[in-house]
Order: sequence, then structure tokens, then C-alpha cells
Amino acid sequence: MKKLAVLLLTALILPFASLANDAAMCDENSDCITVGRWDLGIALGYGVKSNPVKNYEDIPIYLAPTIAYYGDKWFFDNGNLGYTLAEQEKFTINLTTSFSADSAYFYRWDPSNIFIAGTNQLNVGATPVARTVRTFGVEAEPVINDLEDRNFTLLGGVEAFIYTRAGIINLSVAHDLFDVHSGMEAKLKWLYSIAIAQWKFELAAVADWKSEDVVNYYYGVRPSENVYWSEKFQAASATNLGLELTTQYVINEHWELIFLARYSELADEIVASPLVNEKNTSTFFVGAAYRF
Amino acid sequence: MLLTTYRLLLAVFVLISFFNSALAADNDSEASITLSPQFCITSAEEQSCDLTVVLNWEIDTPTTVCIMSDHESLTKWCADSPTTHSLSLAMLTDKDVQFVMVDKETHQTLAGVKLKVTPTAEPQVRRRYRNPWSLF
Repeated sequence: MKKLAVLLLTALILPFASLANDAAMCDENSDCITVGRWDLGIALGYGVKSNPVKNYEDIPIYLAPTIAYYGDKWFFDNGNLGYTLAEQEKFTINLTTSFSADSAYFYRWDPSNIFIAGTNQLNVGATPVARTVRTFGVEAEPVINDLEDRNFTLLGGVEAFIYTRAGIINLSVAHDLFDVHSGMEAKLKWLYSIAIAQWKFELAAVADWKSEDVVNYYYGVRPSENVYWSEKFQAASATNLGLELTTQYVINEHWELIFLARYSELADEIVASPLVNEKNTSTFFVGAAYRF
Repeated sequence: MLLTTYRLLLAVFVLISFFNSALAADNDSEASITLSPQFCITSAEEQSCDLTVVLNWEIDTPTTVCIMSDHESLTKWCADSPTTHSLSLAMLTDKDVQFVMVDKETHQTLAGVKLKVTPTAEPQVRRRYRNPWSLF
């Protein structure tokens, strides 16, 4: 039902977006970057990234960096390395790396959590729960032993940006580069940016598809964690749906205020995992940023 | 006889050299022309130069000159007398302008100077594919 609401919201917003100017041009409505110059910045404030993994704490956010460097073809942008194959007025095609957000829920120093303070390690003080027993057909809440590592990996693939009057459509397909889970991810994202005086707004609706290998690696249960659930839970490919809002208020050349909100509704295939006890994840952050 | 012929040829050679030198000295432009300003840098918004240039020239012999250029607003201008030694010109241009000073009588080129028009070196920009705060 919530997924339907997300789609409906997107459908409602699109007609208004079609009135906007072409966001692809390098003007005040679209973010462009100087070639050959590092773009560095740091944001300080407060926010929280919720953690849907059972017994793992939410992740407080106090500061976060932005790091980017664009050459004529190559670019590095907040951890992603890319090479532009085609850059046209109406579209862009890049080879690019990316990293999955899923490993961040399990590992404090995941690149997704870089500079984010706090811990998301297993909450040892969590209320004990009964071991899984199947008695007269009744399932008790499972006990999961300490989780094995869910390692970080880089994905590599191709992405396309299509620039329309209704915003930017971003399509990407990527595969695990280091054979950590040997899975694939694909993304369909719609972005719409607008600048009003000193305000910049970017709204995005995203559908994130993860292959069965990805879901099984991060949300599947290993025999050492729980023998019963390792057999009971059968992973399947999944699609998360999300909305993102990034708001910037530019004070001057260096300082800006930022407000970010991210909401993602987890796919049923992931929510079905005994490791997960939330149906959605969210992130918000309010703070001030300094751009060097 | 051979010696006489040799001396005669040598004398002719010296005479020819002398007259050549004299002619060359006469033709050598002891003339110079200067331009102010010599450079104009255009901005990104105004991609042409709207300016007034001043040409000044010096010639060792009194000569009435004409100034010619490859700019459409000044194809040819001639001084009224040899005592004129400068010219002020208002012009609008988006490219280099070459000025040539010639002798009004003989049309011999005496000197030249060029106004250089250079666009501002704008930093190259390209689309950024990630929101700056996409790490959140």
C-alpha cells in the first residue's frame, strides 16, 4: 500500500515538473562543476540514519563530507569513480562504480557511513529473545547469533542520464566487482531540481532493484547464525522504493544550510528476512555546510 | 689587360654596392608606429571590444601617411600633412585588427601594428552527476 502511495506521489509531482526548464543545462537550476578542480566541502549538523537490521542501532550523523573531482572524461564523486562515454545535450552515458547501501547497516566504517559518528554495532544490551522453536505450528521470534561479516563491495556498471523538461531520468545497472556476493543491482531514478533565489531543491524518486544474490548475502541467514532460519528464509530479488529531498540555502560562496530527508520502503522480500525488523528506512539531516 | 679589366669590374661592383646601399637606406623605413592599447580582453558577457585606440607614428623624413586596417570601420585614412603624427579611433571589434601605415605618395609600406583581441579564459565546466550531499 505504501509503495502505491509512493508511486502515486510521483505521478502527482510529474505534471508540475513538466513545467520546469531543462534541468540538464549548466545554469542556476542544475549543479555543474569546474573541470580539473577539486570540490571539497563538509557539513556539520545533526541527523539520523535509521537501521532496519534487528538489534543494530540507528546511526547518528554529525558531519559528512562532499568530495568530487571531474576531468574531461574521468570523474570521482563522493566515492564513485566514473568515465563518461557520451555527453550530449539530451543524455549522458557513464561507466561508473557504486556501492550498495546495504553493507552500511552491518559495518560501522562502511563508506556509506564515512564521517558519520556513533555506532551501529550489535546492541548487546538488547532484550533477549527466545530461540526459534516450532511447537505445535507456532513460530517464536528467532534468536540470531552474532552475525557473520557482511562485507562491503564495489559495484561496477553503466549508467545513463536522460535530460528532459520533466527532470532527469537516471538508469543504472551494476555488478559486484569483487565477487563478494556476485550480485547485481539496478536503479531507476527520477530527479527534479529547481532553484528559487538562494534556495535549491532536489526531489528524487527512486526504485532500487537488488538481485537474489545481493539480498541473500546481506539479509539471508547463515547456518552459524541460526540453522533453522538459514533454511527457512529463501532470498529473492527485491525492489526498494524511495523518495529523497535535498534542500540547500546558499548563504554565500562558501556557506550554505542544508536539509536532507531520505525515505525508502523496503521490499517485501527484504522485510521477510528475520534479520530485519523495519519495513522502511529513513535519513534526515539538518546542518550547515562549508564548501572550500 | 687582365688586371685593368679586374679593376674595372671591381670599381663597377663597388659603385653598384654604394648605390644599392644608398637606395636601401632611403627605402628602409625609419618609421615606427605604436598603438595604445595593444591588447583587449573580452569578457564572457561582452564578447567584443568597444574601445578607442590611439595610433602614434614617427618618421625621420617628412612624409604624409595613410593608415589602413582590416577593420570595416577604417579601411583607409590619410593625413592632411606630414605634421600629423597621431590618430584616435573608436571601434568595436571581436577579432584582431591589423593597422598598416603607408606613404601617401608612393604607397610604400612604412610600418604596421596589431591590436590583439583575446577572450577571457573562462573555467571549463561540466555536468555534475551526483548531488554534492549524496553520501548521506
